Amino acid sequence: MTRRTVGTGDCRLGSRPGEVIDRSRTLEFRWNGAVHRAHPGDTIASALAAAGVRVFSRSYKYHRPRGLLTADILDPGCLLQVGDEPNVRGAHRLAEAGMDVRSQNTWPSLRYDVKAVNQVAGRFLATGFYYKTFIKPERLWPAYERVLRRFVHAGEVPPDGEQLYYDKRYAHPDVLVAGGGPAGMAAAVAAARAGATVMLVEQEHQLGGHLRWGDADDLRVRAELVAAVEAEPGIEVLTDSVVAARYDDNWLAVVQRGLPHVAERLVKARAGTLVVAAGLIERPYVFAGNDLPGVMLSTAVRRLLNLYSVRPGQRAVVVTANPEGDAAATDLRAAGVDVVEVDARHGRTVVRAAGRGGVEAVELSDGSRLDADLLVTATGWTAPTSLLNMSGSNPVYRPDAARFVPDPAATPDTVIAVGGIAGDGTLEELVAHAEAAGREAAARALSLAAAHARIRPTSPGGADAAERAPEPVAPLGLRRHPELFFATPIGGFVDMSEDVSAKDILTAVQEGYDSSELVKRYTTATMGPAQGKLETVNTVALVAHATGSTIAETGATTWRPMYTPVTLGALAGRRFEPVRHSPMQPWHEAHRAAPLVAGQWIRPEHYGDPAAEVRNVRAGVGIIDVTPIGKLDLQGPDVPKLLNLLYVNKWSQLGVGRVRYGVMCADDGVVLDDGVTGRLGEHHYLMSTTSSGAGTVWEWAENWLQTEHPDWRVHITPVTTAFASINVAGPRSRELLARLTDVDLANEAFGYMNVRTGTIAGVADCVLWRIGFTGELSYELHVPASYGLHVWESLMAAGADLGVAPFGVEAQRILRLEKGHLIVGQDTDGLTKAYSAGLAWAVKLDKPDFVGKPELQWQSEHDDHPRLVGLQPLDPTVVPEEASQIISDGGHIVGRITSSRMSPTLGRSICLGQVDAHLADAGTRLTVRLRDGRDTLVEVMAEHAHFDPEGERQRV
Amino acid sequence: MSRKEHDDGAGRSRRRPRYSAWSLVRHGLGVGRDWERAFRHHTPRESYDVVIVGGGVHGLATAHYLAVNHGITNVAVLEKSYIGSGGSGRNTAILRSNYLTPEGVRFYDRSVKLYEHLAADLNFNVMFSQRGHMTLAHNDSSLRTMHWRAEVNKLQGVDSSVIDPPEIKKLVPYLDVSPSTRYPILGALYHPPGGIIRHDAVVWGYARSADAHGVHIHQKTEVVGIDVVANRVTGVRTADGRRISAPVVVNCTAGWSTLISDMAGVAMPVQTFPLQAAVTEPVRPFLDTVVVSGTLHTYVSQTDRGELVFGASVDPFASYSTRGSLDFVEGLAGHVLELMPALSKMRLLRQWAGLCDMTPDYSPIMGLTPVEGFYVDVGWGTYGFKAGPVSGEAMAACIANGKPPEIIAAFGLDRFDEGRLVGEKGAAAVGH
Amino acid sequence: MMLLPCPNCGARNVSEFRYVGEAKTRPDPTTATPQEWRRHLYLHRNPAGWTRETWYHGSGCRRYFAIERNTVDNAVRTAGATS
Repeated sequence: MTRRTVGTGDCRLGSRPGEVIDRSRTLEFRWNGAVHRAHPGDTIASALAAAGVRVFSRSYKYHRPRGLLTADILDPGCLLQVGDEPNVRGAHRLAEAGMDVRSQNTWPSLRYDVKAVNQVAGRFLATGFYYKTFIKPERLWPAYERVLRRFVHAGEVPPDGEQLYYDKRYAHPDVLVAGGGPAGMAAAVAAARAGATVMLVEQEHQLGGHLRWGDADDLRVRAELVAAVEAEPGIEVLTDSVVAARYDDNWLAVVQRGLPHVAERLVKARAGTLVVAAGLIERPYVFAGNDLPGVMLSTAVRRLLNLYSVRPGQRAVVVTANPEGDAAATDLRAAGVDVVEVDARHGRTVVRAAGRGGVEAVELSDGSRLDADLLVTATGWTAPTSLLNMSGSNPVYRPDAARFVPDPAATPDTVIAVGGIAGDGTLEELVAHAEAAGREAAARALSLAAAHARIRPTSPGGADAAERAPEPVAPLGLRRHPELFFATPIGGFVDMSEDVSAKDILTAVQEGYDSSELVKRYTTATMGPAQGKLETVNTVALVAHATGSTIAETGATTWRPMYTPVTLGALAGRRFEPVRHSPMQPWHEAHRAAPLVAGQWIRPEHYGDPAAEVRNVRAGVGIIDVTPIGKLDLQGPDVPKLLNLLYVNKWSQLGVGRVRYGVMCADDGVVLDDGVTGRLGEHHYLMSTTSSGAGTVWEWAENWLQTEHPDWRVHITPVTTAFASINVAGPRSRELLARLTDVDLANEAFGYMNVRTGTIAGVADCVLWRIGFTGELSYELHVPASYGLHVWESLMAAGADLGVAPFGVEAQRILRLEKGHLIVGQDTDGLTKAYSAGLAWAVKLDKPDFVGKPELQWQSEHDDHPRLVGLQPLDPTVVPEEASQIISDGGHIVGRITSSRMSPTLGRSICLGQVDAHLADAGTRLTVRLRDGRDTLVEVMAEHAHFDPEGERQRV
Repeated sequence: MSRKEHDDGAGRSRRRPRYSAWSLVRHGLGVGRDWERAFRHHTPRESYDVVIVGGGVHGLATAHYLAVNHGITNVAVLEKSYIGSGGSGRNTAILRSNYLTPEGVRFYDRSVKLYEHLAADLNFNVMFSQRGHMTLAHNDSSLRTMHWRAEVNKLQGVDSSVIDPPEIKKLVPYLDVSPSTRYPILGALYHPPGGIIRHDAVVWGYARSADAHGVHIHQKTEVVGIDVVANRVTGVRTADGRRISAPVVVNCTAGWSTLISDMAGVAMPVQTFPLQAAVTEPVRPFLDTVVVSGTLHTYVSQTDRGELVFGASVDPFASYSTRGSLDFVEGLAGHVLELMPALSKMRLLRQWAGLCDMTPDYSPIMGLTPVEGFYVDVGWGTYGFKAGPVSGEAMAACIANGKPPEIIAAFGLDRFDEGRLVGEKGAAAVGH
Repeated sequence: MMLLPCPNCGARNVSEFRYVGEAKTRPDPTTATPQEWRRHLYLHRNPAGWTRETWYHGSGCRRYFAIERNTVDNAVRTAGATS
C-alpha cells in the first residue's frame, strides 16, 4: 500500500471560540489506506472534512456517492468500518490514533464503485421490484438471491474480532434527565437543588446541546449552566452516553461510552421521574438531488464551522425557514464563504441540486440557477419522541408548528418532557420551563420513593400510590413554522439510508400500500439505522399527499427501542452463567471424571469405563455422588396430608424410620416428578426429588400449602445443597459402611426401605436411606455438605480392600435400566400420565383427593393410552438408539424407544419404550427403525425389570 | 355452501397485469400504465357468504383458497388495522416442518410445500430462502429429542437429521463449537428445507390474489360483536356501527382470538403471551442457516438485507402489551454471544413484540365450534406464520365441506373436553 | 421492567417473581365431571384488561399472592379485600 499523508488544513479555519478540538496535539489514523491527521476532539468525519474529503460512502441500492448531511450520530452517509467494528457513526466517533477507517461496501474503491451501474439501472429497480420479478423459473431463485445478498450495504464482522470488555451497573436516581442541552441541564440543576439525586445523560461528547455551536451569548449561557451542573454534587453526568430505551415503570437502559478499560457499560437505571430533554432533530428537505455530497442541514454546517472549525464549502446557497438557518448563513459568511440566502418563509425554495459527485449548481423554485458547492437547508424540525412513545404516549401533529409534539395528557406522571421536544420559546423561557419541570420531577420522584419505602403497601393502588398528587408543569408555547417537507413530490430521496425516493412512496401508495405502516414495510423507508428520526415525518407527509389526507390523519409509525442502536456486547455485558457442583468435585476432577452438563450441575458422567463401573457395583461395591438430588426438609404435624395430596400413593401409614417411593402428577395427571420420602421423626420428613425437579417441586408444594391449604401446619426447607449425597451400592456395601458408622446395619435392624440417622466417618447428623435405584443392596447417605469430601474419601479409603470404586451417571443409568426404573422426562414426556408410565400399582384412587386424581380416574377407565414397557431386541447385540421409532407394518409410528443400553450384567441389549396399548402385551414382537434406516425386531417383556425382577438383591 | 356467483361489479374477479421482469422494464421505460392497486377499497356489502375476522396470513390465505379451490368469492376479510399488522408482520419469518408428532410433521410439511410454490402461484415473489434450519442441542436430553424429531421426520419423508459439531461448524463457521463453553454444542437437528421468507410479501401476495378473485378486504374495520341466533351465527358488527350478515364467520385472529370467540360465546383454551423479537443493523452476509438453540432460548437468521433477526421464547407472563423488555434483549444478546462471540460489536437496531395465543398442548385449534357457522383457526402459539398456507387451504376446505379435512382432524376444539391432547408439547420449549 | 407490589416486601422488579396464572378456583375433584375438570384445567378468561392472578416471589419472600393487573398496559394494583 502506498503511504500517502493528507494533511489537516485544506478546509480547517483559524481558531474559533467554541471549538472542541485541541490544536496543540495531532494524531494519525488511516482512511481507506491513506494516513490522515486529526486533532483530539475531532470526529472521524470532521478530521476528514477538514482535509477536504466530501464523499464518505456509497448508497444502499444505487451506490450513489454520499457526503455529510447532519454531521452527527444520525448521519446516514457516514457509517464506516473502523477496524473490526462495522457501521461506526463517523460523524460522532472521535478520531483516535491508529484507527483503521474504511468506507463500507465499495468495490474497487469509494471513488470508482462498480455497482454504481445500478444508478443507470435504477429506473427498473423501483420500490418493491424484487416482489415483482425472479418469480419464474422457481429453480433460479436461489441464484438470484445470492446476487441480492452480495449487494448488502454494510460493514463486516470478521469471525475473529477482538473481544472487548463490557460491563453493567445498576443505578437508582430519583430523576434521570435524557439530554444535556440547556433544558436538560436546567432541569437537572433544579431537581438536584430540590433534593433529588440526578443522572444527566448526554449523547454528544460535551454538555450544551445546540448552545455549543451558537453565538457568544449562547456560549456564555452554556458555560453558566455547565458550571451550575458541576456545582451540584447530586448530579452525575454521563456524556457520550444515551438513554437507549425506556421500559415499564421507568426502567431505563443507558449505554455509557468513553470509559477507561470498558468498551461500553449498560447502566440499568430505575428512575423515579424521567425528564426527556432530547431536543429537536433538524429535518432534511426532499428535492431532486438532495443526496448529493454538499447538501447539508444548517445544524451540520454550524457544527462543522463552530465545533471543528471546518469550512464545509466555498459558495453556499442557504435555504432557510427559521433562525437556525439564518444563523448558519451568518456563520458561513463570517468564515469567508460566499452565501446566497433563500428565504423559504416567503415561498422560495430549492427544487434541484445538480452536479456530478457533489453539488455544483442549485435550481430554485423561481427558476433561477445558482452555482454553488454547498447547499444548506433549514426547513424544519422533528421532535425525537421515542422515549415518550416507549412510555405509551403517541405524539400528535401540529400543522402550525410543522411537527409532531408530545401529548402531555397521554404521558405518564413519571415522565416529563422539556426543551425543544416539548415546545418553543426563547432560551430564557426554555430554561425557566425546564427548571419548573425539574423541581416537579424531583417532587414526584421523592413522593414515589416515600411510597416505596412503606414496606407493606396496604391500600389499593399499592406501592404506586404516591403520597403527593402530581402538579402539572405549565406548557411551553409553539412557534409557527411553515410546513416544508418536499419541494415536489417526485424528486429526491426520503430515506437516504435505504435509498427510498419520494417517487417510491407515491408508487407504493398507488399500488395500494396506502397507510404509513404499509408504506414503511413495502418501501423500507424509516427502517434504516436512523430508525426514522430523519425520515418519518417526510414519509408521512408524502403518504398524506398521495392519499389526499392530512398528516394528522395519516399518523406516524410507532418508534420502538432502541433510541440509538446498541451493541450486543453492551446488552450482554459480562456473561455470568453459574454452574453448581458438589463438595466432591475436586476429587472427581483429580480422578479424571468425564464431566456431564445436567442443567446447572456439572457431574461425573464416568471415570473411564462405565461398563466396568456397573460390574463393580453388581459384584462388589461402588459409590456415586448424587448430591444434585433434590432434598426438602418437611416438618410439622400435617406433613402426611401434604404427602397424600402431592403423591398419587398413600402416606398416612408411613412409620417413623420408614422410606417410601412416591410419584407426583400434575392436575392433568401427567407425571411430574418422583422420588422417595422418609420419616425421620414424629413430625419430621425428608423428601427427595429428581435433580432437575428440585426447584419445581418445592414451589409446587408451597403453592398448595399457601393457596389451597394455608391451615396446614407444614414447614418446608430446601436442603439440596445443605447435604452432600453419596450412594453406596453393591453386595459389599453393608460391609464397607459398617466400618464407618455407628448405625446398626443388620438387615433385621435396618431393613430395605428404612431410614436411620447417625454418625458416618465421625460426622454426626447424617441421614442413611436404604433404597435401591441400582437394584443392589445400597445405602444413600446424606451428610452435612462441608463434610462431603471427607466422607467420600473415607469410603474410598475404608473400602480399598473391598475394591470400592466410584461410578458415574452413565453407570447409574445402565444399572437402573437393568432394573427397569423409569426416569421422569426421559421415559415419560409431556403427556405421559401415571398409568402410561406403568405406575398403576402406585395410584390409589381410593384416596379422597390427590393432585391429578380426576384425570387418573378417567385414564384408569379407558384402555387406549400408550404403555411404558420393557423391551429386548431379538438380536442381543443390537442396541436400538434412544428415540428410535417403533413402526407398524404400514410404516406408522406405534411407539418409541425411550431408554436403551447394552447391559454388561446380562451381556445383551435392553430397552424401555412407549408403545400403543394394543401392542403392550408380553411377547409381542415389534419393528424398530434404527437410525441407519435398518429395521430390527424387539419383544415386549412382562416386566420393566430386565434383571432381578423380584428385587431380592436389594433386600438382603 | 353454494357456489353462487356474485356480480355486483366492485367485487368481480378480474384479470390483472402480471408481475415479471418484463413488466418492470416496461414501467422503467415509462411504457404502459401505472401499476395497478394490489388490493382495493370497497364499500362493505350488507351480507357475505363468509366473513373472515383477521387480515393476516391465515385470514387472507383462507380467503384465497376459498376463491381458488372452491369458487367461493362472496367473502369479506375484516381487519381492524392494516393487513399483516399482527403476528404476520411481527414474526421472524422462519419456516420449517421438522416437528415432533406425525400430525405436526404432516401438517407443516404441507405448508412448506405450498410455500415452495407460492411465488409462482400468487405471481408475487415471497422470497422463500431455503437455506437450511439448525436446532442445536447442548445436553443429552435435548440431543435425544433432536434424534426423536429426526426419526419421526424421516418416517414422514421430511429431510431432517442429527449432525455433529464438525458438520455444524462447516455450515455456520461463526458458531463456537468448542467443548469448553458453558453450553457445549453436542449436535444439531439439521433440516435443509427450512429457511426464511419475506413475511409481508406472503400477506400481500395472498391479499392481491384474493382481491383479484373478488374477495373484499376491509382494513381499519374492527369487529366488535358477533350475532348468534339459536346457536347459529348470523353476522358480525363492526366498530363503525355496521352490521354485516353472514352464515359463516371465521375467527382467524391471533392475540385477540379469545376476545373474538367470546363474542360468539365460545370459550377458548388460550392464553395470550407476548413474543419478542429484535433486529440488528445490517452487516455483510455471513450466516446462511437459521440457527436455533432451545436451551439458550434464542434463534437467529440473517435476512437478504444483512440484518440479523433474533427471537426467543414467549414472555414469562401473559399480557397483551407489545412494548418489549430490557430483560429480553439482555438475555438475547448474552445468549447470541455465547453461540457466536464474534458478534459483540454488532448493534441492535430495534425490538418489538407480537402476541401469541398459547394452547395447553402447543397445537392449534382449527375447525368447527359448538356454534354453528362459527369456525376457528386460532391458538397458534409461536407457529402461526409457518402454517399460513396449509391453514388457509384446510380452513377453506372445512368451510366449503362443513367438516374438517383429515390433515387438521387432530386439532379440533373438542379434544380438550375429551382429553385427546396433541403431543407437540414435548418439543416445544423453544421451537423456531 | 415493571414493578410488582409484593404484600410482604413492597415494590420489586418483576424478574424476582414467577407468574403462576389467572387466579382460579379448583373444582371439588370428588364431584366434578371430567368435562368440568378439563375446563378448569384448560380454559382461561384471558381478558384484555384487569385480571386477578397469582404470582410467586421466588427471589424474595417465597410468598404466593394475588394481585390485579391490567393485561393491556401491565398496570398493577393490590388485589382487593377478597385476597
